[in-house]
Amino acid sequence: MLEIKNLHATVGGKEILKGVDLVVKSGEIHALMGQNGAGKSTLSNVLVGHPAYTVTEGTVTFNGKDLLAMTPDERSHEGLFLSFQQPVEIPGVSMVNFMRAALNAKRKYQGLEPLDASAFLKLMREKRKIVELDNKLTSRSVNEGFSGGEKKRNEIFQMALLEPTLSILDETDSGLDVDALRIVAEGFNKLRTPQTAAIVITHYQRLLDYLKPDVVHVLIDGRIVKTGGPELALEIEQRGFDWIKEEA
Amino acid sequence: MNQYLEFFRTQRQRIDGNSHPVLNAHREAAAAAFERLGFPSQKVERYKYTDVATAFAPNYGISLSGTTDSLRKTESPDNPLALSHYGTLADVDADAITALNTMLVQEVSIIHIPAGIHRENPIQVTHTLHSTAPLMQNRRLLIVAEAGAHVQVLLNERADEGQDFLTTQVTEVFVGEGAHVEIYDIESTHERCHRFHQLFADVAAGGRFTHATFTLSGGLTRNQTDVRLSGEGAEVNLLGCAITDGQQHVDNNTLIDHRAPGCRSRELYKYVVDQQSTGAFAGRVLVRQEAQRTDSEERNANLVCTDEARMWTQPMLEIYADDVKCSHGSTVGQLNDDALFYLRQRGISEAEARTLLKQAFASEVINEIPLEALRQRLHAMVEKRFRSCEDCRLCKKG
Repeated sequence: MLEIKNLHATVGGKEILKGVDLVVKSGEIHALMGQNGAGKSTLSNVLVGHPAYTVTEGTVTFNGKDLLAMTPDERSHEGLFLSFQQPVEIPGVSMVNFMRAALNAKRKYQGLEPLDASAFLKLMREKRKIVELDNKLTSRSVNEGFSGGEKKRNEIFQMALLEPTLSILDETDSGLDVDALRIVAEGFNKLRTPQTAAIVITHYQRLLDYLKPDVVHVLIDGRIVKTGGPELALEIEQRGFDWIKEEA
Repeated sequence: MNQYLEFFRTQRQRIDGNSHPVLNAHREAAAAAFERLGFPSQKVERYKYTDVATAFAPNYGISLSGTTDSLRKTESPDNPLALSHYGTLADVDADAITALNTMLVQEVSIIHIPAGIHRENPIQVTHTLHSTAPLMQNRRLLIVAEAGAHVQVLLNERADEGQDFLTTQVTEVFVGEGAHVEIYDIESTHERCHRFHQLFADVAAGGRFTHATFTLSGGLTRNQTDVRLSGEGAEVNLLGCAITDGQQHVDNNTLIDHRAPGCRSRELYKYVVDQQSTGAFAGRVLVRQEAQRTDSEERNANLVCTDEARMWTQPMLEIYADDVKCSHGSTVGQLNDDALFYLRQRGISEAEARTLLKQAFASEVINEIPLEALRQRLHAMVEKRFRSCEDCRLCKKG
């Protein structure tokens, strides 16, 4: 599904990614771990086409297509979704208008008719249940006045509506209490199918207990230096990253 | 300038002949003031953002015969009480455009609400500029709300395409004790329209005045709004939203004069300035010594969408009382890049994302309006305005 080869990227002239190689297949969950500044968020931002990041070398193929040649909205239509580490508040843009514009843009890209207002509201009601998101929140402006947990639930709610094939969860567990983490993780799990895949960026085993990754990668200084099974995450939880640095 | 004085002197008889004696009684003093003042240069503080003389330089036709009745009996018949207010707030000696308007105006629309009367439905006044040749129109509006009266007024201004128009309008508003007056003024004209509006309001004790001006499209617009809070506990809420592109210019100049204790003023103006257009906002809040316990907030926020677009902002606070709560501020910025990217990640195109964010920016002003139906109409008008902007007639020309 996703094939990253020798990816180098800079932000503000500084090289952060220094040759990342990664292959993600349908049905897989990949955990991406590493200390702050290792390049985890840079990798996710580069994949979704954030304009502040410049790719200087390497290729990314997504379902056989050149991902780096696409605009951010095309990448979204092709099935790529980022659950933001810090979802932005957008006063004055209602959740309903936002998600309807997003969903209908995708449907247009797929050659489908736009959903009318009542069909869309019905769909919203259904999807809200997945993350137990209150009706009051979806009738507000995007993320405005949402608590940290509500913002993360809202990310998974948007994911449920857009049905991406590859989701990147960028520290979706940060700032969540135990209950909110469970709701978010269980919501995510309900959306999994054999055709979907995910890259989960996290510092903690807690989220991985729920999501059960197939593969765990460790990113240090812009490169993936170690790859293993779920047991690698448990080992990092106990021993930290220093031993991997020494090995590398 | 001379062409207007000459027109007045040579056509005086016809002007007077088609007008009400009260209007005629003010002309001589207005002409003298206009001759003395001349068109204000950009060195005059309140006119520094708008080139008045150039706007008034071309030869426009003025209709002398079109008026069938010099008193448009909008709300009440020939009304000596209302007419006795004519010209008492709009000072011809203080402002050349007010003087010019008073010198030439041939009709006045009167809205008079007697004491204690609550108008259920808003009164709508629509001006459509229509002409086969360049036309100047001078208009006058007089609103008198006696004690405890409530009225909402909707003003719409439109214009035929493909013609040059110049309008002056002087509005005098008297908000009596405990009266509520709301005026919503929507301009949707085109790039060949020049508009100079002066509004003067006096708010008596416990009275409440709301004035909102929406410049959705136009050529050159200057709105001057002067509000006097002259009785204890009077309130004013000034709102403005301007959406500009092409070569458009919008200048809102306001004065809120706190003359009595315990008054409250709120002011919010927002601009979205695109392409090569220019916007200006100057808002002066004057708190006189006797205006203790004044509560005042003034805010101007602006989105400047291109490198060529320009915005001037000048909030001014002048306080002579010591027990007051006042704030003022302005911001000039671009669309929030994080918000823009968030929308794009969800599959919304860049153009659509920009439209949504601009609409959201303008919606703060619209949401201040208590009339649900008007809010919905304005949201729709603003959306239409931004959507057509992407491929509007101005862009297509280029």
